[in-house]
Amino acid sequence: MDVSDILAAHEAKQKAIVVEKDIPLEVDAGFLTVTDLNPIDVESYNEDLEDYLLNTARDGVQTLIASLFQLPVTPSEDGPVAKLPAPTTLLPRAKPLPKPKPLTKWEQFAKTKGISHSKKDKKVWDEEKQDWVDRWGWKGANKATEVQWLTEVPKNADVDFDPSAQARKARKERMAKNEKQYQQNLARAQQAAGSASSSTPNATSNVQRKRELDKTLATTRISTASMGKFDKKLDGEKKLRGVKRKFEPAEVSSSTEKSHNLAILSKLDREPSAKKAKSGGDDVLNVRKAVRFASKGKGSAALARQSGGGKGKKGKR
Amino acid sequence: MRPLTEDESKIVFTKLANYVGKNLIHLIDRADEPHCLRLHKDRVFYVSESSMRLAISIAKPNLVSLGTCFGKFSKSGKFKLHITALDYLAQYAKYKVWIKPNGEMPFLYGNHVLKAHLGRITEDTPEHQGVVIYSMSDVPLGFGVTARSTIDTRKLDPTAIIVFHQADVGEYLRDEETLF
Repeated sequence: MDVSDILAAHEAKQKAIVVEKDIPLEVDAGFLTVTDLNPIDVESYNEDLEDYLLNTARDGVQTLIASLFQLPVTPSEDGPVAKLPAPTTLLPRAKPLPKPKPLTKWEQFAKTKGISHSKKDKKVWDEEKQDWVDRWGWKGANKATEVQWLTEVPKNADVDFDPSAQARKARKERMAKNEKQYQQNLARAQQAAGSASSSTPNATSNVQRKRELDKTLATTRISTASMGKFDKKLDGEKKLRGVKRKFEPAEVSSSTEKSHNLAILSKLDREPSAKKAKSGGDDVLNVRKAVRFASKGKGSAALARQSGGGKGKKGKR
Repeated sequence: MRPLTEDESKIVFTKLANYVGKNLIHLIDRADEPHCLRLHKDRVFYVSESSMRLAISIAKPNLVSLGTCFGKFSKSGKFKLHITALDYLAQYAKYKVWIKPNGEMPFLYGNHVLKAHLGRITEDTPEHQGVVIYSMSDVPLGFGVTARSTIDTRKLDPTAIIVFHQADVGEYLRDEETLF
């Protein structure tokens, strides 16, 4: 009896079950994915493309199913069911990372001062009710003073003092303030985004804008017929102040004052006035008079001829 | 009382330099005792440092005057020399005009100097130059600004104005209330 055929057939079967490659296949059972990193065998690829692809696919599926059968299995009506493990392949994000939110004014301040912030719980413990109640909102704890049946009235209160209305008013004011600050933060963030795109430093432009606004406001305040004297005053309007003049102290040492004055004098000498230019300088020597005296009234041309006479003969041009 | 600012100093110096020229340095850089210029109620005072230090302790409303008043700043920021500055101007004057005795009284009543009253004049005095006016016995009477240069005056008739009046010692009587 020749068993070699049977053995060969068995071996071929075994081969089909175990896939052996140069680089082992990567299996991610979580995603039911197999990745074949082996380079393509050019010869067989060119010879028969379909067959090559079929073989590669079969190897991959064989490895995947083999890995599936190693997972813990529970029997069910439809057959054994394996629980897939968590996927190991890292998939890239579908959307870009969110941009960091612009800091609010308080957050900026807290950051510079190193103040750390712990988030408050939405619920607070109510001792009377022995229950957790919302901090704000419907039946919120912040309305406790408005709804309580008995309220202590301050000694100096009016006759028509309504404590619940007072508390409600204060709460509404806090809300309005918060809303205002929120809007301001939004506006600031928007402005920062705008100035960042135009590539100017935000802080300086902000300061500059504020200065310009103040300047414009000051101009408009004195641009009425009475130069702002009889205008209606607004609440919290500050008095306009001009530029404060600054003088040196009266008791400067005489030497520094002298040097200061001399510096001013030398500066004055440097800039020629119209008169000086006309009268030919502020010199002690009167050149015109000196020439007249030296040439005995004959003039500068005669003087030049007299003094340069010898030279003129030698160096004829 | 305070020192002059740079702009104010410039205005004062240019005005003084019109009369004393480069000699202005001798006013600032004095050999005997350091002097300084101080502004008090729009008036400029030329005062020795020691007096100035004494005056510091006097309250502003109580301080009437100190040192020598050189002049005052007008509301529009121009500087006007007062006759009280004559002592220093006469000492360092660059250009001088001497007037005849018969011209002294008209000048001291605030009139301009006519050619008929002109005794002597510094040679080569240019036009519109600040000059100090003396009597023939070398007593300073005031100061003014020349109307014509020295050369041009020769051709003029005797009634023509030679020096425009700026200040004269008669002001000590005429403007007694406002001068100091």
